[in-house]
Amino acid sequence: MAALAERHPGLAAWFGYIRRIPWLAFLLLYTIVTGGPFVWVALMSLRTTNEILDAPYALPSPAHWGKFAEAWTASKYGVYFWNSLIVVGCAVVLLTLIGAMAAHALARFQFRGRKALRLAILSGMMVPPQLLILSLFQILLQFGLYNTLAGLVLAYVATQLAMTIYILEGFFAQLPQDLFDAARMDGYSDFEIFWKITLPIGMPAIATTVVLNFIILWNEFLFAIVLLTDDDKRTLPLGIMHFMGAHQLDIGMIATGLMISIAPIIVLYACFSEIMIKGMTAGAVR
Amino acid sequence: MAVVKLEALSKRYGGNAEASVRSMTLTIADGEFMVLLGPSGCGKSTALRMIAGLEPISSGTVAIDGRVVNAVPAKDRDIAMVFQSYALYPHMTVRQNLAFGLKRRRMPAAEIEKRVASAADRLGLGPYLDRKPHALSGGQRQRVALGRAIVRSPKVFLFDEPLSNLDAALRVTTRNELIKQQHDLGTTTIYVTHDQVEAMTMGDRICIMNRGEVVQIGRPLDVYRAPADTFVARFLGSPPMNLMSGVLRRNGADHAVEVAGAVLPVTGFEAGLLAPFADRPITVGIRPEDIYESGAQPGCSAPAAVSARVAAVEPLGAETLLVLSLAGQAEECVARVGRVSAHSHGDAATLYLDAATLHLFDPQTGRALPRAAG
Ligand SMILES: Nc1ncnc2c1ncn2[C@@H]1O[C@H](COP(=O)(O)OP(=O)(O)OP(=O)(O)O)[C@@H](O)[C@H]1O
Ligand SMILES: [Mg+2]
Repeated sequence: MAALAERHPGLAAWFGYIRRIPWLAFLLLYTIVTGGPFVWVALMSLRTTNEILDAPYALPSPAHWGKFAEAWTASKYGVYFWNSLIVVGCAVVLLTLIGAMAAHALARFQFRGRKALRLAILSGMMVPPQLLILSLFQILLQFGLYNTLAGLVLAYVATQLAMTIYILEGFFAQLPQDLFDAARMDGYSDFEIFWKITLPIGMPAIATTVVLNFIILWNEFLFAIVLLTDDDKRTLPLGIMHFMGAHQLDIGMIATGLMISIAPIIVLYACFSEIMIKGMTAGAVR
Repeated sequence: MAVVKLEALSKRYGGNAEASVRSMTLTIADGEFMVLLGPSGCGKSTALRMIAGLEPISSGTVAIDGRVVNAVPAKDRDIAMVFQSYALYPHMTVRQNLAFGLKRRRMPAAEIEKRVASAADRLGLGPYLDRKPHALSGGQRQRVALGRAIVRSPKVFLFDEPLSNLDAALRVTTRNELIKQQHDLGTTTIYVTHDQVEAMTMGDRICIMNRGEVVQIGRPLDVYRAPADTFVARFLGSPPMNLMSGVLRRNGADHAVEVAGAVLPVTGFEAGLLAPFADRPITVGIRPEDIYESGAQPGCSAPAAVSARVAAVEPLGAETLLVLSLAGQAEECVARVGRVSAHSHGDAATLYLDAATLHLFDPQTGRALPRAAG
């Protein structure tokens, strides 16, 4: 067989392909299952509801690009989009800062009550949001934060903080202590060390939490619908409800709305995926 | 330039029953190269970290130039430390690594530039200044770590086993390089190692520690020649000193020890110190290089014959080690003889101990009986 392959290089290449067929078939299937619905929605976003009802799987001809403009202005997607961007952006910035600082402290400092504090913070991950929503509603009402974007930001930070700290602490704890001792010998204070050593070296883990928090909060529905009542303050996931009437669904416009709300996540993932994968595969620095 | 003075320095980590460093008293002179030597876990790193300010002090004091610095944070002690792991900042280039400590001190950029360039020049790091640490070899990383200490021109250098991650050949060259740099700079240095070759060759003085306590302080050869107790005797020297059990006999005004069927005259000890051990067991120490194959060899001033069985022969090229079983001795003895040995495995042999070089230890306490001066 080896001799055969030597005489016919083309044949050898074919054997290589054949051996990889099961693997390729699996990848193809996986891509269809995960990417298929996405492509379908993308196609529908360019077609009207009537066209879709006539032929669900047809290609858009002609492509109604105007639907995006219509959703943006007439259906106020522009407003919802900016609301989402402000709320999620602020929440992610706060989460990253507070989470990284807390994780740094838990990973680096030995202080009285450290274990208890850690347990208290991390047990926050086990409380389902449905349990929190009533008391959260009460508290925000009391502080005049009900039906404000700031209130929603605070609620988001509170619910996501435990997971953020959990991920970051795991990574920070693996960084060698000598690095921090060296920075202390070089004259830096604990606060400076956080900014100049922990943050830059912890970038892969931080990117992971940024993307994760962004995706989770961008799609968040329950808190947004309970804590916001003004139409002008709504976030994107609530906007989609506009096209769901009591008796009928405007499928075409829902697809357009979905495409608008998915876009930022795709952009974010494209920016951070490289550094995230680095973080997941490389583990700590050596 | 600084004098470092440790006074009854102790450390007990929370949760440990035993102290890791116990009542350590040591003065390191200005410009001196002091080596802390001891087996793993004896508290060398702990002592160093207390001097650095990285570890809180349980009791005692650390003083630099007469000023007690117990309460001074690490960043204000003006001490530079080189870590075993090098601890280079992975996200910075070599240049940034070197400049990091200077930047914090608000030094003008031109001065930083100058110092980095001169340190890079001194250590041959010029071509690597814009690389990140992951793109350097182990030896290069080690030099960056050293450079990071040098650029700051601190009062004191601390080294915690800086050579232990290098391969054997590189370790020797780096060791010499380090001695030269310290000599040129004249900075007070405390160097931790468990490698006795490093200790012997690098230190102006060595401080030997065991289980958190200082056992002996002295110039390397002085400590080698006159170990304070059986621990130091076994720890310094490779192969270590042979320790045998003998009996001290009094013979008029003279003394002799009976060991392994031989009688060795004891000379050079004060009679008053020997008196309590007369006709009692005593521990006799003899270095492998003080055992000879022939009594006529140069250097052997007071040969005393013993019969032994050769348990093993280890030819090392430049020398041969003979592992010997001696009559009445629980432990085997090692002799370091010439390039070639006439003996082979299993032989019954007669060897010669140089009685002028023997060491005597109290078998109860392990303390050495000191030789009379002169
Ligand atoms: N952070 C710590 N917490 C508790 N005990 C510690 C801590 N660090 C060191 N010890 C203990 O203190 C003792 C001395 O440790 P140290 O690191 O100073 O030893 P060492 O002489 O540097 O050894 P090595 O040559 O292996 O580096 C050891 O018994 C160790 O278990
Ligand atoms: Mg150590």
